[in-house]
Amino acid sequence: MQRLLWVLWPSFIVAGVAEALFFTLINPQELYLFGEPVNFSTIATYSVGFLGFWSICAASSLFTCFLQRTPGEINGGGCGHPPASPAGNKTA
Amino acid sequence: MTTEPSGTPGAKAESDSSVEVSLFEVHKKIQVRAVSGIFATWRWILVWFTQLLFYGLPWLTWNGRQSVLFDLAQRKFYIFGMVFWPQDVFFLAVLLIISAFALFLFTAVGGRLWCGYACPQTVYTEIFLWIEQKIEGDRNARMKLDAAPMSPRKAMLRGSRYAVWIAVAVWTGFTFVGYFTPIKVLWNELMVFSFGPWETFWIIFYSAFTYVFAGHLREQVCKYMCPYARFQGVMFDPDTLVITYDEERGEPRGPRKKSLDYKAQGKGDCVDCEICVQVCPTGIDIRKGLQYECIGCAACIDACDQVMDKMGYPKGLIRYSTENAIAKHWGWKDILGHVVRPRVIIYTAILSAVTLAWLWGLATKPVLRVDVIRDRATLAREVEGGLIENLYRLQVMNVSETAQRYSLSVVGLDKIEIAGEHTVEVPAAANKEILVQVRVPPESGKTGANVIHFDVKSLNDESVAVHEKATFLMPR
Repeated sequence: MQRLLWVLWPSFIVAGVAEALFFTLINPQELYLFGEPVNFSTIATYSVGFLGFWSICAASSLFTCFLQRTPGEINGGGCGHPPASPAGNKTA
Repeated sequence: MTTEPSGTPGAKAESDSSVEVSLFEVHKKIQVRAVSGIFATWRWILVWFTQLLFYGLPWLTWNGRQSVLFDLAQRKFYIFGMVFWPQDVFFLAVLLIISAFALFLFTAVGGRLWCGYACPQTVYTEIFLWIEQKIEGDRNARMKLDAAPMSPRKAMLRGSRYAVWIAVAVWTGFTFVGYFTPIKVLWNELMVFSFGPWETFWIIFYSAFTYVFAGHLREQVCKYMCPYARFQGVMFDPDTLVITYDEERGEPRGPRKKSLDYKAQGKGDCVDCEICVQVCPTGIDIRKGLQYECIGCAACIDACDQVMDKMGYPKGLIRYSTENAIAKHWGWKDILGHVVRPRVIIYTAILSAVTLAWLWGLATKPVLRVDVIRDRATLAREVEGGLIENLYRLQVMNVSETAQRYSLSVVGLDKIEIAGEHTVEVPAAANKEILVQVRVPPESGKTGANVIHFDVKSLNDESVAVHEKATFLMPR
């Protein structure tokens, strides 16, 4: 569960920033999907955009989490626990 | 409130209470004791202020439309008399910089004032705690209820608490979406249950967000999720106001009979009642010194002051003070005398400079913008009378709040003129794309690119005018 939040929370924040930057610069009505103009409502485009950004960022966080695990932890689990919080390891 | 030293039933129950497996780590559920006092009052004032603003603003009308509306569909943000377009993102960026520096300044001077009084996490936790307390009773009652096996009474209390929490959360989610979709439209849709799919999604999403954060995650958000909490320490220095336990005065702590002279027994002012720990929303013991978990809410100050009153000791065993003040036994005069220091001066200077520049920018924000784009399909062509014609797409953006008529003209080449319409009408806060044909006799310009300028002037207000550069292509 905590690993899930480690993946979802930072990616949520970064997806928010990405969404704001992307749609400030690009009007959703000027987007093309498979060669066709996007014809969803604007709100739908923004929403799909945000969820898309979120999942991409989450994938990145997930990969970071995976790489943080030392070979020794692979069997035990845990995502880059700082050694200072041994209590946390027990839930993982 | 009891002043019975240590071993209160509350403290016992807390240590016995089962360990809750929670989202971040094994942690004991913190049952926060309610507290009253000057700082609690301030926190409530801010809860009321921020929430009246948040829940109320979308319902205010301004010039016949919602006063604050971030209209994503139209890509326009309305804030009272101002309309922001995507091109104005600069103002948002600078606003964020201003907020950051304001936060740095407040933190350097007064510690985590933001966290303790104004952060939405604190504010909603406060509201949710209040509901919890009204329904399930005070801290002891809640801990008994936690420990008790499931019963009809427990189910009823839990159920009503969750129901009220959900109601507040859903209203918050509704209001949040109301900043992006006109809230009155949303309200009418609610009346007939006809929300669009994405509106429904975001209302549920934000409601769930509020519910989980304020109801269940609480202090864990501050401890594990908040980036500011991680780095706020770098803004602190020995002259920063923090919540401090006066160790010299308090120690050695311990229970005592009120009738006896505790000083003769070698005891300090701390009666070790643990109430400061019980009221702490992050569950720390401030007597162990400043910890990063401390959100600066001053609940322990209020609690301790009440105990000191009951014991007949002077207030302020726990108080706002600075590291230097405690070490050097300074009074308020000395503390205030050290507010002005290089760090504070630098933050203030940057903050005021950026704020002034921002306000100046807002005040002089143009009310008309024109983008000239050459038509990509045709470069130049010859039309009747041997004239050379170039086509342009003019994006005329009326950033003002009233409909405007603009006159179009073009200068830069001899006998240059616009064929067709010379005026354009643009509704309030809207943009219009017009196709403009510009014609020139071939002898007026050199072969290749010639610089010309479009003049767009408001017919309603002479001061509103734009002089926009473009190029005219002359074929061989």
